[in-house]
Amino acid sequence: MFKYITHNNQQMLMKYALNTNTIKGERKSGVISVIRSLWPLLLTEKKKLVYAFVAIICNSALTLAAPLLIGHIVDTYIVKRDFHGVLVFGGILLLVYIGGLITSYLQTNLMGTVGQGALYNVRHKLFTKIQSLPIAFFNQNKSGDLISRINNDTDKLNQVISQQLVQLVGAVVVMIGAAITLVSLNPKLGLVALIPAIAVFIFTRVLSPWVKKRNLNNLKSIGSLSAEVQESLSNFKVIVAFNRRDYFRTRFAEANQKTYSAATKAGVANNLFQPVYGLSSNIAQLSVLAFGISLITQGFLTIGLLVSFLAYVTNFYFPLQQLAATWASFQVAMAGWDRISEILSLETNLIHIEGGKKSKEDDSVLSFADVDFAYPDGPLVLHDISFSLDKGKTYALVGPTGGGKTTTASLMARLYDPTQGMVLLKGKDIREYGDEERTETIGFILQEPFLFSGTLKDNILYGNKKYQDYDFKQTEELVKESGLSDLLSRFEQGLETPVSVGGSSISLGQKQLIAFIRAVLRKPEILILDEATANVDTLTEESLQVVLDKLPKETTRVIIAHRLHTIAKADEIFFVNSGEVVSAGSMEHAVEMLMHGKRKS
Amino acid sequence: MKKNKPEAKNKETRQKGQRGPSVFSILGPYKKMIALLISFALATNALNLFIPRIISRSIDSYISGTLVVSQMILQFSIAMICIFVFLYLQSIVQTYASERVAKDTRTKLSAKISRLRYSDIETIGSSKLLTTLTSDIDSIKMFVSMAIASIVSSLVVIIGVAVLLLTINWRLALVVLAVIPVIGFTFAIIFSKVKGLFGKTREVVDKLNKVINESILGAAIIRVVNAQQEQSRKFLEVNTEARSVGLSILALFAALIPIITFVSGLATLGIVVLGGKFVIGGSMTLGSFTAFYSYVGMLVFPIIMIGFMSNFIAQASASYARVQGVIDTTEIPPTGINKAVIAGDVEVRHLTQTYGEKTALKDVSFKVKAGTKTAIIGPTAAGKSQLLYILTGLVIPTEGEVFYDGIKITEYDIEHFHAQVALVFQDSSMFNMSIRENIAFNTSVTEESLKKAIETAELGDFINTLPQGLDTIVSERGTSLSGGQKQRIMLARALAINPKVLLLDDFTARVDTKTEKSILQNISQNYPELTLISVTQKLAAIENYDSIVVLMEGELLAQGTHAELMNTSPEYVQIYNSQQSTNAYEVRT
Repeated sequence: MFKYITHNNQQMLMKYALNTNTIKGERKSGVISVIRSLWPLLLTEKKKLVYAFVAIICNSALTLAAPLLIGHIVDTYIVKRDFHGVLVFGGILLLVYIGGLITSYLQTNLMGTVGQGALYNVRHKLFTKIQSLPIAFFNQNKSGDLISRINNDTDKLNQVISQQLVQLVGAVVVMIGAAITLVSLNPKLGLVALIPAIAVFIFTRVLSPWVKKRNLNNLKSIGSLSAEVQESLSNFKVIVAFNRRDYFRTRFAEANQKTYSAATKAGVANNLFQPVYGLSSNIAQLSVLAFGISLITQGFLTIGLLVSFLAYVTNFYFPLQQLAATWASFQVAMAGWDRISEILSLETNLIHIEGGKKSKEDDSVLSFADVDFAYPDGPLVLHDISFSLDKGKTYALVGPTGGGKTTTASLMARLYDPTQGMVLLKGKDIREYGDEERTETIGFILQEPFLFSGTLKDNILYGNKKYQDYDFKQTEELVKESGLSDLLSRFEQGLETPVSVGGSSISLGQKQLIAFIRAVLRKPEILILDEATANVDTLTEESLQVVLDKLPKETTRVIIAHRLHTIAKADEIFFVNSGEVVSAGSMEHAVEMLMHGKRKS
Repeated sequence: MKKNKPEAKNKETRQKGQRGPSVFSILGPYKKMIALLISFALATNALNLFIPRIISRSIDSYISGTLVVSQMILQFSIAMICIFVFLYLQSIVQTYASERVAKDTRTKLSAKISRLRYSDIETIGSSKLLTTLTSDIDSIKMFVSMAIASIVSSLVVIIGVAVLLLTINWRLALVVLAVIPVIGFTFAIIFSKVKGLFGKTREVVDKLNKVINESILGAAIIRVVNAQQEQSRKFLEVNTEARSVGLSILALFAALIPIITFVSGLATLGIVVLGGKFVIGGSMTLGSFTAFYSYVGMLVFPIIMIGFMSNFIAQASASYARVQGVIDTTEIPPTGINKAVIAGDVEVRHLTQTYGEKTALKDVSFKVKAGTKTAIIGPTAAGKSQLLYILTGLVIPTEGEVFYDGIKITEYDIEHFHAQVALVFQDSSMFNMSIRENIAFNTSVTEESLKKAIETAELGDFINTLPQGLDTIVSERGTSLSGGQKQRIMLARALAINPKVLLLDDFTARVDTKTEKSILQNISQNYPELTLISVTQKLAAIENYDSIVVLMEGELLAQGTHAELMNTSPEYVQIYNSQQSTNAYEVRT
């Protein structure tokens, strides 16, 4: 059972890379399957959807009734020179147009509301999904590409849903109505009128997968272009300092060229529909005209009927041409939806398991039992690790860079699950804890601090449910109580210091201070510091040490650091290297291992 | 100085134009393509007008008994095939023209961005630049691919239909053509209302993007503090706002199309009643009546098109203004021409650096002799990193000067300068390329200096463990590497150019003590002539340095050797004492 789960984990880990072709397989590219997958998102406003369809059908009926009326007017009154009849039926025609006005407004408004609701649902679902995915997902995908998927691809969907859905549905209904009228007015002539449409339908079906594929490639190239820009801009200072301004230009030029060729390919494919549909419409008109005239000669048709027949042909083919214009964007949107679905189909591999009873009888607050860990497709980073941490003690993890310290810490906080073995929190499998309980118990200060845009107060209370609604005054009080005022005083504007993402106005050391305050305010039972103060000066670090010392007695501290005085106060030191975690015993011994210990490669 | 002139001129023209450059000016270099596009559009639509004419003539001649069916079919077929060919050609030209404009504009933008100062990128913001390079280009592309052809086609159809109608029966034509101003008026009213909403849409989209970006870039901390719900709440808020803006736009648009259709319906009604009267009265043929009827159908769509396209143009103009804004940013002032080999004497005179009201550096002056080692120490946010950025020429100081070998930094040829002064950044910046390309990032790096740099940074062992060695690809943001490995790769990157002056920004923070020792030793051994300026927190390693600069809150408090500072600088002594407890261990090796 356990083996099965771990095996599964590994498979899932590999799945997160979105741009590898392995997971895509051949998705059904038909319209119907896409509509089926989109359907639940449209259904949240069922009533409105029903009303919208009623409005669309009424509107289409009215749209179709008009030419019929006009045909009637021409045949019975104009030809017979009865102006009174013209006036009477003109009045009826006016009523039809007024009805059309009302139903048309209703259909657009209702359908649009449904569309906006669907778009809202897609965005919401996508965002919620991304929130539910583990950190491995973000490590395996480029942020630029992810951003492009969420922004650009949903926007493509948006354009279709908000602007073209009404047209699409309306056009289809009008076409069906027109087709029925054509055939019932005169089956032979009707069929003649519809044959080109059938040819076009087959043409479309055959070509659509090809068109969609080209659009998919285009969206993909836009994704990598965006990833390229993202990378170069965030590393711009290196580009400047190392004389590689050409780097951005050439890398970008390459991506740009790729986008250009993918986009023109997609464009040529998308633009194929309109001329073909136009041609089919003209062929139909010509056929009806020629065939109709011969029917009149044979006495099977009147001129008035031919006139309205021609109008119905227009009525049938005009929406078809509109569909052609829409079809291209529809293909683009479907390609976008494919890329979105890729994300939606992912599931977190950090599953919650039911347990209940303690798997292991011991007092340790956190322990590793025979833990193995490897990143997907990578070598084993940790091998058969077992150790346990006691309540209220301070532990240090030391060792050379790349030895596995951060990985060990990440497993403690369950950013990843071990590929083999188990991590136990208070004697229970860590996977049995809910996210809320686990994150409240374990505080983790990451190596690379991240700040959210807002104020310093927003950042130190970030994710802190207890103090979420505190105002500046209350927060200041809280900071004072927690003995953090000294740290806060290093910011000129205090809690109101503005923070922007990636802003350089706050130094790395200051960011680390904010991350430290954020973690301490959560009052975790286990606090992990992963080189959390590496860029803080030693004097400030002393104040941090004071804060750490003042934490409640029960708090367990795990400290990863290279500065020896940072770890001097540890109760126990673990030496982490080459996938092994061993107790180093005394400080002297740890230093001995660090300085002289042989490195296995 | 030279560059200032065209810029000033630019400003002038912009002030004259007031509303900024028109998006049409982007078409200049593509005149031929656009001309081709317009001629195809003209041809297609002119022919399109022919078809109802053929139909009506055929009906008329049938009634009068003079119809030659084969001739009708021939005419119709030729027109039809020509339309198909021209329309297809138009669509191809349209695609290539719009993609060319997009590609060239992106190239222009990227070329411009690559010439900007580091600080410009920071002020504009990389996410904004990303939007400009993607969404803004998109809307310009839409303008080229759709708006131009549509407007030309629509105008042709409207004018053509109007002329045809007038020639058939001018009185009836006037009734029909009365719809044009009515529809135009409706558009004007609705779009004036929508315009403000479109601005709002952009704001909301920006907000959406911000939440999304933060959720992706901050994914780790969000998971550590279990703030997924908080993020979702933020998103929900903006998403709801997006929906309500979308709905208000919808409400306006929902009214637009029905009104237009209704008005055109009234025109049809006019034809039926008035035209019917004419036909009954004998002043109009039934064929003309039919033609009138079908021409009205053709009239409505182009009018709607023009309305929508005018909106497209407005959006594209806004995007074009943003693109132009980036292109008009002042470039780096022309660099100096001095290509002297730098010996390594560095002098900083009265440096002051302010950001708004915040002062990062206050009147800092010091000297560094060639071939010596200098450390800069001080608490968090003392201005140390800023100082290094200024020393590298990445940031231009508000006041004061930096001299290398007595020559102002601005007088050096900047490329030449960067080839001699290297900075190892504090935060990791990795490129999604092989380790080799990351280290030999500067293309002039030879195989030999690459090897030496790898050796010095103690990366050899690590690289040997990788199955693909130097050719291993580093993932974006370097997530596959540990903090220390990234930092050593960045050191190797700097050393690989064989710099005369090496600036280290808190380099040892993420490297273990043993590796740090050997790396520093390697540097003195392999690069004996190097002038080293190192920002650091650890005093033990710098006690034997030639000079130590103590910086605090942007001010230089003291400079001297370790022994001097121990006697003169209480701040230094304080820092020293804070590290004493464990120094015993660190000195032992």
